[in-house]
Amino acid sequence: MIDMIEKEDPVISEEEAAQYDRQIRLWGLDAQKRLRGSRVLLAGVGGLGAEVAKNLILAGVKGLTLLDHEQVSEDSCRAQFLVPVTAQGQNRAQASLERAQNLNPMVEVHADPGRIEDKPDDFFLQFDAVCLTGCSRDLMVRVDQLCSKHNIKVFCGDVHGYYGYMFCNLGPEHNYVEEKPKVVKPPADSNDGPEAKKAKIDPNETTMVKKTTSFCTLKEALEVDWTSEKAKAGLKRTPVDYFLLHVLLKFHTDKGRDPDPKSFPEDSQLLRQIRDDVLEALALSADLLNDDFISYCFSEMSPVCAVVGGVLGQEVVKD
Amino acid sequence: MVQLVGSLRRELAESLSTCKVLVVGAGGIGCELLKNLVLTGFKNIEVIDLDTIDVSNLNRQFLFQKKHVGKSKAQVAKESALQFCPSANITAYHDSIMNPDYNVEFFRKFMLVMNALDNRAARNHVNRMCLAADIPLIESGTAGYLGQVTVIKKGMTECYECQPKPTQKTFPGCTIRNTPSEPIHCIVWAKYLFNQLFGEEDADQEVSPDTADPEAAWNPEDTAARATASEKDGDIKRVSTKEWARSTGYDSVKLFNKLFKDDIMYLLTMDKLWKKRKAPIPLDWQQLENSMRPQEESPASGLKDQQVLGVWGYCQLFQHSVETLRLQLQEKGEGSELVWDKDDPPAMDFVTAAANLRMHIFSMNMKSRFDVKSMAGNIIPAIATTNAVIAGLIVLEGLKILSGELESCRTIFLNKCPNLRKKLLVPCILDPPSANCYVCASKPEVTVKLNVQKTTVLSLQDRILKERFGMVAPDVQIEDGKGTILISSEEGETEANNNKFLGDFGIRNGSRLQADDFLQDYTLLINVLHTEELERDVEFEVVGEAPDKAPPPQNNQEEVNSITNGNKDSAQPSTSSKAPAEDDDIMIVDSDEEEAAASSSVAATSGTKRKHPDAETGETSSKRPRTDQSAAAPTDDDDDIIALD
Repeated sequence: MIDMIEKEDPVISEEEAAQYDRQIRLWGLDAQKRLRGSRVLLAGVGGLGAEVAKNLILAGVKGLTLLDHEQVSEDSCRAQFLVPVTAQGQNRAQASLERAQNLNPMVEVHADPGRIEDKPDDFFLQFDAVCLTGCSRDLMVRVDQLCSKHNIKVFCGDVHGYYGYMFCNLGPEHNYVEEKPKVVKPPADSNDGPEAKKAKIDPNETTMVKKTTSFCTLKEALEVDWTSEKAKAGLKRTPVDYFLLHVLLKFHTDKGRDPDPKSFPEDSQLLRQIRDDVLEALALSADLLNDDFISYCFSEMSPVCAVVGGVLGQEVVKD
Repeated sequence: MVQLVGSLRRELAESLSTCKVLVVGAGGIGCELLKNLVLTGFKNIEVIDLDTIDVSNLNRQFLFQKKHVGKSKAQVAKESALQFCPSANITAYHDSIMNPDYNVEFFRKFMLVMNALDNRAARNHVNRMCLAADIPLIESGTAGYLGQVTVIKKGMTECYECQPKPTQKTFPGCTIRNTPSEPIHCIVWAKYLFNQLFGEEDADQEVSPDTADPEAAWNPEDTAARATASEKDGDIKRVSTKEWARSTGYDSVKLFNKLFKDDIMYLLTMDKLWKKRKAPIPLDWQQLENSMRPQEESPASGLKDQQVLGVWGYCQLFQHSVETLRLQLQEKGEGSELVWDKDDPPAMDFVTAAANLRMHIFSMNMKSRFDVKSMAGNIIPAIATTNAVIAGLIVLEGLKILSGELESCRTIFLNKCPNLRKKLLVPCILDPPSANCYVCASKPEVTVKLNVQKTTVLSLQDRILKERFGMVAPDVQIEDGKGTILISSEEGETEANNNKFLGDFGIRNGSRLQADDFLQDYTLLINVLHTEELERDVEFEVVGEAPDKAPPPQNNQEEVNSITNGNKDSAQPSTSSKAPAEDDDIMIVDSDEEEAAASSSVAATSGTKRKHPDAETGETSSKRPRTDQSAAAPTDDDDDIIALD
């Protein structure tokens, strides 16, 4: 799909060249053109969502659809920078639209106030990449499976207090190019200067090496059987946060929301309980994830959003 | 029972809303940082930046829009931030942080200072001010996909200047003027030429053949003879380039023939230079015009700027740009000067054309305007996401500091790809101050090798104290028992000394000088080592500051490349020829964006006419991180989960 678009739009305008100059110098003109042909769906315009939206819009995608059914609350204004302080009560996607669009008028930004759970399968098919923030486990697994089938890239992420995660699935057969420095044996009369006649690794010149890799689905990632020998061997190297993720996802599924500072005592209790349950279900020791996490996983911390959003945004762009 | 305000514990949230913080720089990192600070709950923020907004900033400095181009970055950043957080108390300064108004007392107002800078001079300066005021400083930098954050606290951690950073690569004058071998030499030459013709003439930016080139002489007496001979020649040395150009009315064909034909023919007479090198081939305007072929239609798929023209194309570009610049100069009036700016099209065209013509003459492949601009303007490619991540990390470190948890602060490196341990972000324990640091040691001292008969007082002030040792307004006394004042920071007081040599004041081998910068509250003792043997075009050498951890030696090729492409290449992790062992070769990255007039062993001088501060290229040094993570090998192919710590 991207290839077709490239043939339609071979030229980058002067305006684009000027604005995107610094990034074209980093990832090249071809990458910029691919970006310019891609449409992305972003579900969830909270703290993390806003960061990702900003990163994608600045990068210069063709279109970005902001999908969010939530309303702007008092907390929203503190959490993200796209929503005007006067917008309380409005739909979060629609309230963020203006500022998002202003980040880069060359991108088509849309707001959709619907619920992602209600969207039919073919809704997702109009996009090249889908990015889900703050979504429930089941929804993410469903969308992930649907999109992999249709070669649509999937990215997920969320932030809980000081914690955050991101996941990406670029498909079972993802082709990409990697820039590798070229080993150069200059010919007898070297052209870039009469210097150096020996073979060297020339960092100025790189070749693009084609590679293929395969990504697992979200379902597979979450449903690792920790009782298997292989998994047990990998356990030590697995960051504890992975299990925290399970806990938080379960919390979301059970309560329909994230841990809320306003109900700190009850939620802490629940988190502890879930932690015990989750680890038990995975046949792992409860010590793996100790109590500390509890006070650090509430709400969305702006800087954490920035970090995760940055990495997530970059992954989307890289693809 | 822990009480939370949003994500934060209550005490921390309260301290955020009362403390004052300073952000130095409102560009790539600065915009992201400002946003993070207000959203996290910081209420009192001051931000300073001397720059104005350019269209190339818009791909990442998201607080700015097209309509703001030309306005003050600090000011617009403040206004945009207030849009989404009207209750924040933000003060914006459109000014240079090196202005003496921002003295130690000014810095003491803040609980925390965060740098979001793009040049070393300002970083050095803020480093010293924070040491003097004893305020914690969070230092950071980005270049492309790479980034880094670190914390500096007097007495507890290394200061910014504890580890020697590779000094800016400069090229010897003879290479630029006589024997260029790489495109960058031609580009630097072209920039000098711009200044000689249209800008501020600088004695260190000569473009004419260097008759005193020691390499050119078959025997030493020849050099002197050659020098006198050329003076009689009139054209080559006597008349200033600008005067000569003016006398011809900036006739582009005459200029062309002088620079690309006559001067080259002169170089050819210095035959020793060409014994082992490929000799340059002079160009003739008339010949080129006659043999010109109609241009092929170039395919429109790439950027126009990325096309490489033919020789005649650059001849025409040369002609057009000279004409445009001549008119610009005329418009500005008598005795005016132009300042080179990579974003000024005719200036950029001029350098592109002149550099390429010279490259062609010296048998090098010509470069597109896009590439020339990168090299001439020392452009560091930049994107929003790297800055976003780094700015997020800055705030997280800031929170640790405000919670009184300095021991948990780290230096954090952001890599391009997850490393062998699947880490994208790599934290390292902060190192304690270096005992030999010439800035933060209790009695800083250095030894400098120079020739007391050939080094002027002005050189000492500008090249050594200001550029090399980062002083802004030095005062120097000789430790001769009389406390003779050599340099005074007060304007005019010691101007008479400027052109005298150090030797004239009795300074000799073993003499000691005391240099002070009162603004930075910094005293440096300099031991003078007299020598008559310095390298070709090298004016001084700083002797043996052997740090505890010396950076692995970089071979020449890498150093050159790190200059030719700004920071782009040297900022690539793990592709260098150094063995990474299990950790990546992680670089400390200064993202520097302004042009440098590379002259003999000296970085650009700060001109008050320029709107940007001291310009330099990006520099790197590799640092081996001591991670506090337990080892983890790769291989888990079931997991697409990458841990960010």
